[in-house]
Amino acid sequence: MSDSHGIDRREFVKSAVAIGGAAALSACLNRGPEIDVPRGPEQPDAAFPERQHAWNEFLPTTDEGNNHHPRHRVLLPLDYGDGTPTDAEREAVEAALAGVERAYERSAAGLLLTVSYSPYYFDRFDADLTESVDLPEPRALSSFEDPNPDDPDAIVHLASDHGEVVMGAEEALKGEVDELNGVSQPDAALTDAFSIRERRTGFIGDGLPAENQDVDGVPDDGPVPEDAPLYMGFESAYEGNQPTEDRVTIREGPFAGGTTQQLSTLTLNLNQWYEQDTRKQRVAKMFCPHHANNDVVEGAGENLGTDPQMDDCADPMDSARSDGVVGHGQKMVDVREDDAPIILRRDFDSTDQGRAGVHFLSLQREIADFVTTREAMNGEEIDRNSAVGQRTNNGILQYINTVRRGNFLVPPRSLRALPPANPETAEDAEVANA
Amino acid sequence: MRRRSFLAGLGAAGVVGTAGCLGFELQSGNREPPLVENRPDGVYYPTHTEGMLMGGMASDGGYSCALTYSFPHRFWTITGSDTTQVEVGSNDALHLMPFVWHSETGVVPSDVSPTVEIARNGESVDRNNPWAMLSQNMGFHFGDNVELPEQGEYDLTVTVGEGSSRRTGSLAEAGSAEFEFTIDYQRSELGEVAFTDIPEARQGTLGAVKPMEMDMVPIKQAPAVDALPGTARGTTESGDAVLAVTSLDDATAFDGGEDQQYLAVSPRTPYNRFPLPLMSLSATLSRDGEAVFDDYLYEWLDPDLGVHYGAVVDGVETGDELTISVDTPPQVSRHEGYETAFLNMPDATLTL
Repeated sequence: MSDSHGIDRREFVKSAVAIGGAAALSACLNRGPEIDVPRGPEQPDAAFPERQHAWNEFLPTTDEGNNHHPRHRVLLPLDYGDGTPTDAEREAVEAALAGVERAYERSAAGLLLTVSYSPYYFDRFDADLTESVDLPEPRALSSFEDPNPDDPDAIVHLASDHGEVVMGAEEALKGEVDELNGVSQPDAALTDAFSIRERRTGFIGDGLPAENQDVDGVPDDGPVPEDAPLYMGFESAYEGNQPTEDRVTIREGPFAGGTTQQLSTLTLNLNQWYEQDTRKQRVAKMFCPHHANNDVVEGAGENLGTDPQMDDCADPMDSARSDGVVGHGQKMVDVREDDAPIILRRDFDSTDQGRAGVHFLSLQREIADFVTTREAMNGEEIDRNSAVGQRTNNGILQYINTVRRGNFLVPPRSLRALPPANPETAEDAEVANA
Repeated sequence: MRRRSFLAGLGAAGVVGTAGCLGFELQSGNREPPLVENRPDGVYYPTHTEGMLMGGMASDGGYSCALTYSFPHRFWTITGSDTTQVEVGSNDALHLMPFVWHSETGVVPSDVSPTVEIARNGESVDRNNPWAMLSQNMGFHFGDNVELPEQGEYDLTVTVGEGSSRRTGSLAEAGSAEFEFTIDYQRSELGEVAFTDIPEARQGTLGAVKPMEMDMVPIKQAPAVDALPGTARGTTESGDAVLAVTSLDDATAFDGGEDQQYLAVSPRTPYNRFPLPLMSLSATLSRDGEAVFDDYLYEWLDPDLGVHYGAVVDGVETGDELTISVDTPPQVSRHEGYETAFLNMPDATLTL
């Protein structure tokens, strides 16, 4: 897989995703064998589910039985500008999205994507966002964070196991390429309606965090385990630790079939995590003291199969009182419903701004479900009533800072191109605007 | 406030710790000699004491903050009773201590976790949540070794969020706070920070160096036993900590009733009387062989009692027997001389 200059092709692709742009893409495609990704259907609308977030059925399961997470990611925050969308803009956005879907099949090797819209986007309409959607503006969710609001109008999330695919899709969506994976692209682009504010990139999966640890916030001696899927060194999205897509899907109203997306930008202090704590401390803080004291977790935790065995952990308050520490996973047990969490994690790590970080992206039926989950993570009652502090030995709060929070609506596919705030009354609104 | 102008304004007071500077060269960033051998299971004299530099002082809301720093040094994190020695990393630039206190009472808040954002030329270079720490010359404070990419000026923003609801008096009104400082990180300057050897015969023996004296920065001690508010009920000991007990006749400030009493335990270090935060304590109060109270003590911040642990009880009588159980020792990171103390803390009993 090495090219004539001896640079590992995979290494190159990984950096190229972070750099981005047509030049990086073409350099990538000129290096080594082209990837072989099947094309998508001629008519994606007819073939693809109404739920944009229906990814699981298109993803393989890992050896341990957990859903695979596409390894390379790009987030494109988009600004619409003033006024309300026109039909021509909606058609252009839909055409651009369908163009990349025709180029790559909907799979981990191909492309998975969602488009989502913020409360700031919906503010432009005379009608309020339908009451069947819970989408408040983001706010601080603990007394010790002061995040900036993530306030673009929309965000496109691109995911694939191949860096070339997310980069290719990005360039096509910007209208920069005529042909993608041998498929001719429409004369329409996201930029017909939006300006692209910035690009955010990331990765998840065995080996990628270790390959990307030469950034600020990670000790120089490369402590991230070679096989770890995330910077903190442990598996996290166990099958038994994820709700179904049904559980996070909006059931009623014009956006039924959609979901809400919460996106936090987190920075990590892996110096403290790896250099100032032992593995035993890390296991206690990520899982629970029981797991640390009984060597339950091997390596990144693959030995746990699909279940992190949280039932074996003590009551969080009991651990806090007697062990002086409460685990991150342990605090989350009480927010489970039908023995599953209420938020679906699709988060990934990042080297944006040259720092070790996380784009914590989760899907839930209501933003309130995320708030409930995050409040459990704060462990306020545990902090108040035990030796555990606001951050000290309080799960992984010590090592994380939330610098930005955003809330978005992922509409159903049929409304993914510049939706009105209340599609039930949208016809009236259009008449009024005409 | 700029560090230079601060120093100019205060004269020599900006550089604290004035004793002789011995011949350690600051090259690797680590000036520390090896730990003493055979450290006792209690508070002991460390190998040396250190001075520090002052990056400025500011007040906001109910709090004040002195941004102090020194060369990076070893300390110990703690989880339960397990301590982990943190060695100085090759890229560690300094030991950063945002020393935060409640302006009116001097109480260092143990129910918050400050954040430090470090920026250079307007670009964020690090965000750090310093550890709650205990040192013999500064008492309870926040600190961590941090990396900086190069020498020069850095803008630091220290934020303190809302504390818990277990506060009384003006402490309950402290709110949140944000402080801004600029420091000029120069290795040569750090190399001149006072570094004082403790005589070898004294290193590792039971005892503690005296608290540092700083102009304008209070080092908060727990109240002396004879200065405790209420009816002082005596002291007991556990794991080298002194547990001072008092009772107040009116428990209303602590979520109790006027006709109830407040039983308070104030754990502190020996010698320096520094409060010990982040413990899980519980207590049994017995009268004529019958338990009249058996429950958790909760950590409270009070202007007079400082950081302490307490519970509302129906009454305390002379002759009652009080058993204090340390369910978790102080989960506060330790500087040298404290890392072997306050770990194994058996039940302590006292007749009131």
